[in-house]
Amino acid sequence: MRSNPYIPIPMVVEKIIDEVDTKDIKTFRLRFEDREDEERFSYFPGQFAELSLFDKGESPIGIASSPTQRGCLEFTVQKAGVVTTALHELEVGAIIGIRGPLGNAWPIDYLKGKNVVIVGGGFAFTTQRSLINYLISEENRNQFGDITVIYGARTPGLLLYKEELAAWQKRDDLEIHITVDRGDDAWVGKVGFVPTVCKEVSPRCENTVALICGPPIMVRLTLPLFYDLGFLKENIFTSLEMRMKCGIGKCGRCNVGNKYVCKDGPVFSLAQLDQLTPEY
Amino acid sequence: MEKKLIPKGQLVHLVDKAKKHMGVFGPVKQEDYVVFRPLQEGENPLPSFGNARNAPKEFLFPPREVMMIYSQRGRDMVYGGEYIQENRALLFFVRPCDARSFVLLDMLFDQETYRDPYYVRRRAATIVITLACNKAPYKACFCTAVGGSPVSADGADIFLTDIGDAYLAEFITEKGRGLLEIWDELPAADDEAVKKKENIAKEAIDSLESKPPADKIKVFLDRNFEHPFWDTIHQRCLKCGTCTYLCPTCHCFDINDETKKTNGVRLRNWDSCMYPTFTQMASGHNPRPTQKERWRQRVMHKFKYYVDNFGAISCVGCGRCVILCPVNIDIRKIITEIAQL
Repeated sequence: MRSNPYIPIPMVVEKIIDEVDTKDIKTFRLRFEDREDEERFSYFPGQFAELSLFDKGESPIGIASSPTQRGCLEFTVQKAGVVTTALHELEVGAIIGIRGPLGNAWPIDYLKGKNVVIVGGGFAFTTQRSLINYLISEENRNQFGDITVIYGARTPGLLLYKEELAAWQKRDDLEIHITVDRGDDAWVGKVGFVPTVCKEVSPRCENTVALICGPPIMVRLTLPLFYDLGFLKENIFTSLEMRMKCGIGKCGRCNVGNKYVCKDGPVFSLAQLDQLTPEY
Repeated sequence: MEKKLIPKGQLVHLVDKAKKHMGVFGPVKQEDYVVFRPLQEGENPLPSFGNARNAPKEFLFPPREVMMIYSQRGRDMVYGGEYIQENRALLFFVRPCDARSFVLLDMLFDQETYRDPYYVRRRAATIVITLACNKAPYKACFCTAVGGSPVSADGADIFLTDIGDAYLAEFITEKGRGLLEIWDELPAADDEAVKKKENIAKEAIDSLESKPPADKIKVFLDRNFEHPFWDTIHQRCLKCGTCTYLCPTCHCFDINDETKKTNGVRLRNWDSCMYPTFTQMASGHNPRPTQKERWRQRVMHKFKYYVDNFGAISCVGCGRCVILCPVNIDIRKIITEIAQL
């Protein structure tokens, strides 16, 4: 972040990856234009940044790369509004801005010495991908207990990070369950909604933290399920999404109760959410 | 604290002197109302007025301000420099409610983490001269109900009281005392002037008739995010946003880009929680889908969330939203009704 928090850091688009067969989700790998900015940019999985395109505006997007992956940042962006549509039209070499890192993060310190269950649905999986890569990196893996990932998408073609998913499935220090709502001819994996699969897997609650992120309906059904599995409300986390502009708790639109999702969130525990108003 | 007398006949002279060093802003008559705006050459602040229709907040946090510029480089639009105005400014004859709003806005814009450079630098370059209300200017005034007073010096660098043929001028802050270098001929205030001020202050506080119990409603707000009462306020609201645009403490804004051919500016514009698009997400989801949720947000933000986060109600009781709401939604009535629930 620069001393004026509204000024974007210039980045160069280094690589663009088409993630899904519907062609509306792309991952952008960005390289810092200025070395000083790169050294100053220190972040944790779960944080986000405002992607800034002069003439179009800004859009808050979770950071999909892991801090252990040096030299670049990655953002997986779904084409939805003005800014994200313009982003999708960019080519390699384009200059864009980012403001960040913004918000809190997945509770990394709290996860140390504990088992971790990561439940993701659809396109919201991006900061969880950051977290998984962080947790399983050589420098960090031994600080955490068992890691279980449950990830679902509507169809096989809508699964993000397909190559990484395949690589994760080969690891023996990570248990991963991938599911789709509807399979296709080529799909040999699991078929079923994320909450159903969570029930099947029924992760043990002892010394375990669940991090849940996905479309509202999935989150609404999954949060109570983990509570029923015996997880403490302090050990269930989710990440909220709101319309944002400033990203630093000034512009007044992303509050849930007295907390700003941009500054005090986006990650909240179920215990914290119980204290807030249900306006999200 | 240094106390001086400003004979009323001297006022024109002092304003002119100040104009040589900084922009001077004050209340002037426009059509049938008063506005707070830059004083032109030879123009003076109105000696007698209720309050300006616009809150002087706009000189620290303008309705529309350029944040930075950008220009085209090859195929891209790239950053071209920040744009921060920090010209010295003197706000003359700010009413105590409005001066107090600066203190409330400081809490948000001048936080330890994420200081807002646009507001903070302007604020540092601005001197506030508050003029006490000898009598509540409007029936809709309710400053004493929200922690203020018609003679509050909160937010003032210099505090003036009209004591008849002169103003008693109290130079409160270092910034205020700096003006004594320009105004070097002011006579010191005598005990009689100070005594007069004290009597005026007492009468001024007594003159406030409207006292909605704003400090009593947080207990209700803490527990009743869902309550049938929230269905009652918004019914006739036109979503015009007048209340938020006139409000001295509302601070919500939008950020927009405006491009002309190969150059452009990134702007900050006031926005309003009364507008449907304020929280509308690109996915189509809107966490505040109707005017009911927007009104609840307005009340909660001012009388609960701001108190939770900063320890102060975010309303100064100026009465602007009460007087100028086209459908007569009255925040005092809302407060009073909540207190009875």
